Order: sequence, then structure tokens, then C-alpha cells
Amino acid sequence: MSTDAQVIDGDDARVIDVAFTRYDGPRAGRLQALWSLARWSSLRALGARRSWKAKVIPIALTLLAFAPALVILGARALFGTSSVTANLVKGLPYGNYAATVSIIILVYSVIITPELLCPDRRDRTLSLYFSTAISPGDYLAGKVLAAVLPLLLITLAPPLTLYAGNMVFAVHPLGYLFGHDRDLPRIVGSALIVTTFYALVGLAISSLTSRRAFAVGGYLAFLVVPTLIGGVLSHALNMRFLRLLALAPAPIRAGQGLFPNYSDPGNIGPWVWGATTVEVAVVAIVVLIVRYRGEQV
Amino acid sequence: MAASDDQERHALVALRDVSKRYGSVVALDGVTATVDGRAIGLLGANGAGKSTLMRVMLGLAAPDSGHVRVLGMDVADSPWDVRRRLGYMPEHDCLPMGMTARDFVVHMGELRGLPRRVAVLRASEVLFQVGLEEERSRLIRTFSVGMKQRTNLAQAIVHSPRLVVLDEPTNGLDPAGRDEMLALVRRLSARLGIAVLMSSHVLEDIARTCDSVIVLRAGKVSAIQPVVPVRPDAGGDVRVRVEGDRDAFVRMLGGDVLSELDGDWVLVRGGGPAVQRAVRDAAVTAGVGLLELRPAAPTLAESLVEAMG
Repeated sequence: MSTDAQVIDGDDARVIDVAFTRYDGPRAGRLQALWSLARWSSLRALGARRSWKAKVIPIALTLLAFAPALVILGARALFGTSSVTANLVKGLPYGNYAATVSIIILVYSVIITPELLCPDRRDRTLSLYFSTAISPGDYLAGKVLAAVLPLLLITLAPPLTLYAGNMVFAVHPLGYLFGHDRDLPRIVGSALIVTTFYALVGLAISSLTSRRAFAVGGYLAFLVVPTLIGGVLSHALNMRFLRLLALAPAPIRAGQGLFPNYSDPGNIGPWVWGATTVEVAVVAIVVLIVRYRGEQV
Repeated sequence: MAASDDQERHALVALRDVSKRYGSVVALDGVTATVDGRAIGLLGANGAGKSTLMRVMLGLAAPDSGHVRVLGMDVADSPWDVRRRLGYMPEHDCLPMGMTARDFVVHMGELRGLPRRVAVLRASEVLFQVGLEEERSRLIRTFSVGMKQRTNLAQAIVHSPRLVVLDEPTNGLDPAGRDEMLALVRRLSARLGIAVLMSSHVLEDIARTCDSVIVLRAGKVSAIQPVVPVRPDAGGDVRVRVEGDRDAFVRMLGGDVLSELDGDWVLVRGGGPAVQRAVRDAAVTAGVGLLELRPAAPTLAESLVEAMG
């Protein structure tokens, strides 16, 4: 430890040098580096330590994602177990929550995922990251985690809030918990499917460009345009398999398949949607690996 | 230049017969060197292999043959450990424009293995050391080129490395910024106890900051020598160039000072203040103009320029 700190005492005291200490303590491994990358990236994507403009949209979308749960729980708090609240609760089963806020999930992921990769490529920060103890694989793992964590805020937290509220407002909370114990893993599983899909697809498209605007455009083109075309063609030609072009709702349908009483307007089974989801996710992983495999300083 | 195994293990960097090709281009050709000391320069023309050598040291490029040890660790066996313990400041812009200097330095500290609390504390310390304590909460995109380079330097030393590798740290800086950066680099080795390996193609930068220099030429080490400033009153032969009657000047030097003609120059044997006074007096008496008086041995600059090719 150096001892070059000097301080003048008195009314006019000012620090003229700060000691430069040597650090000889333990050094954490790559896991901490990966976590650090994920934490800083997700906070930045959510607008932390940035202007209010960068914060407004993520906060607004998060509130909107919670809105259905808060409306139902608010009604239960105000009106108790009336028929109105009973209809409200029945109208939004846990399995349908992601479908209800699907547009919000899409917009949210469009905002979050380009912010995780594009600036690093634009500012050439990648080369600096790879000169530390993290590899391209660690970098990707950290960024996937950075995308998944904020997305869980709108895919998992709202239905969990609804579940917790329903339990609290139930006549017998413990009875509700035991009676709906299978819903919890279904809620978590469904949220993970939706989150992983949107995170991987968003990151894969963002990895192709250093321009955020291009990434947003590409993401929307990849998910929304086929969905519209598939919907129109399947209706016009009466060929229900064309509905599988709808990539945006694929993970949501697959997630709904975890719940009982699954129904699909095109009579496409949850396993088909699940397979589509897995295929697209695998392609996204391959794109990410290929894109970052050769990255170096 | 070859060192024993024991020397290699204790050296900052030990390179043994390191070669690296990119296609038909030979970037490094049998480089053998042991780097030790407080401040070492890596000098070479563009394309001499400086950046490749640094990449090999960091474990970012695997040599085609040869062995590299950094801080006693074999880079091939433990590249991650090497990178965690080394500091590295790349040549090009690589800072995240949307982060504050403080956040970025904390982040880089964590990526290099510092616990979060330690990283926060050390970020403040290193930003003070590079003169950015007042600007630490500003976004990097609002910084001048010099401030960005200082932020880049801060991230390279935040984790308290034993050795920091600086790739052309004065690139793109104006004269004032360059002076500041060179003073900072000197301070790292002289006061903060961090050994420096600095690459540059500017001889003056190396001469001002380093104790020794490795010269690369076409992928080979062409010279390793200490950087010793030449003192005008040092002993040794001197060479004099005069305007006017050179023979008269030699005659006036007299028999006390041994001199001979060497092309346009007069080579005066011996050195020190007495010889310099004799040269001055002879020039006045012979009525010649004294154009140049310099040590007869090649200067550091001359020998390094010759080594660089």
C-alpha cells in the first residue's frame, strides 16, 4: 500500500492526493464477471443511470403488464367475492396472462434487447471485454441473462402477483395455495418459455447490427410480419398450418399448453407451437454463436 | 537474450522463440526476450509486430510456436488468469459512450475479478490518479479525446495489476494531451508501482517514459537496450561540424587534443568539459562557425532508428 496521501488540516483543508492502494485480496472467477456483465447490462437497458427519457418507456410498459393483475386484485379488494370479481378472475386465468399482455411483451423486448448488444458493437467495447477474463461464450451468457431478467419482470412477476393476491383474498388462503399448487410451476414454466424465446430472438437479431434502429426494425419484421401474413393467408386459404408462420405468439401458445383447458383457434396443439418455439430459439442460438465465435480484440 | 528457466519464471514477460503467421504474413518470427523492470518500451514501425506480440501476451492470439510466460504464468495454460492480472489499454476507441466514467471503471474492475465493494473504492482512486475525479459522473460521450484516453488508462489499472500493457497510449492526442498522458504513464511505474509495457512507433514517447526498450523489426527482436539519456558533459569522444576553415580549426585544437577528420566531421578524442572548452576556444581562434557538437557514439535515437530499419 502506498502512503502518498496528504491532507491539509484547517478551514481551507483540501485533499491534494488520494492514496493509491494495491489490492492483493482474492479475485473472483468468470462467474462473477458474467454476473457483473448481466447486471450492468440489464440495468442500463432498463434506463438506470440514464436520462428520464430512457426510463419512461420500460417503467410504463412494466406498469401496463401489471395492470390486469392490479385491476383484478383491486376489484377483489373493493368488492370482495361478488359476482363481478368472480367473473373478472375467471376471465383472466393464469394461462392466458401472457396472451393478454403479449403486445406489451413484444414492445418491451424490442426496447430491451437491442440496447444490450448494439452499443457494445457500435462503441467497440467488445474488444475490451474480451481482453479481460471473459470469453465470447461468457459474454453471450451474460447478455442472455441480462435480457431474461428484465423480461421476467413482465412475464413472471405479474401472474405471480395475481396468484399471491388471489391467495390473500381467498376465504381460506392456505386452502387456495394447496388447491392451486400446480399452477405455480405452470406459471413459472410458461414465463420461462416466453422469456427465453423473446430474449434469444431479440439478441440474435441485435447481434447482426450495431444500429439500434435496424435491430428494432429487424425484430419487428421477423416477428410481426410473418404473424400478419400467416394470419391472413390461413384465413383466406383455410389452411390452418399457415398459422404456424405466426412466430410472435408461438411461445405464448406453447406456454399455454402447460395449463389445463388449453384451446387454440386453429386447433394447433401445444406441442406443435412448442416445436416451432424450440426451432426458432435454436436458430437464434446458432446465429449468436456464429456471430460472436470469431470476435476478438 | 535467452534466459534461464528460473529467470523466465520471475520475469514480467518471458518469450521464447515465439512465432506467429497470418496467412503468408509473418507477424512474429522467433521472438525471444525476457521483459523485466519498471517501464519497458516496445518500439517498431507500423506492421513490425507490436500489436501481435501484445495479443500473444494477453492470450488473445495463440502463437504458432514458442512459449510465452506472463507474471510467471504460462499463457497457453492459464489465459484467463493472465488477463485477470494484467491491465490492458487498447489503441483504438473502445469505451461505452453511454456510461459514466465511474460506472465503467467499476464494471471493468468487476470483470477483472474485483469484488464489487473493492471495485467501487478503487474506481474512485484510479480516477483521481488520472485526473478525472471531478468528471467521474459525466457520460464518456461528453469527454474530450484526452479524457477518454485517461478513462481508458483508469480501467486498465483499476484491478491493481502488476503489469499494464499500453498499446499506443498517445494516439490521437494533441501535444498537451500527449504530455499529460506520458507523465501519467511515467507515474504508473515511478510512483504507483505498476510495471508498464508500452508500445509506440514514436521514439520520443518511449524515451520519456521507459527504462528499457525492445525494438521489433519485421517480426523479429532487433535490439533490446536501456534507455539512457545522453548528458552533454558525459565523457567519450565527440564529433564536431564547423563552417569555415576546417584545417585551421584542427590546427587550433593543438596537440593537447587528439583529433582527426571524418568526412564532414572532426572527431575529437576524449570528452568532458575540458575538451568542450578546447573546441569552443579553437573555433573562436580559427574564426569558424560551430555548427554541431555531439557525442561520437551513436545516440539512443540513432541506434534505435537503425534497429527499426
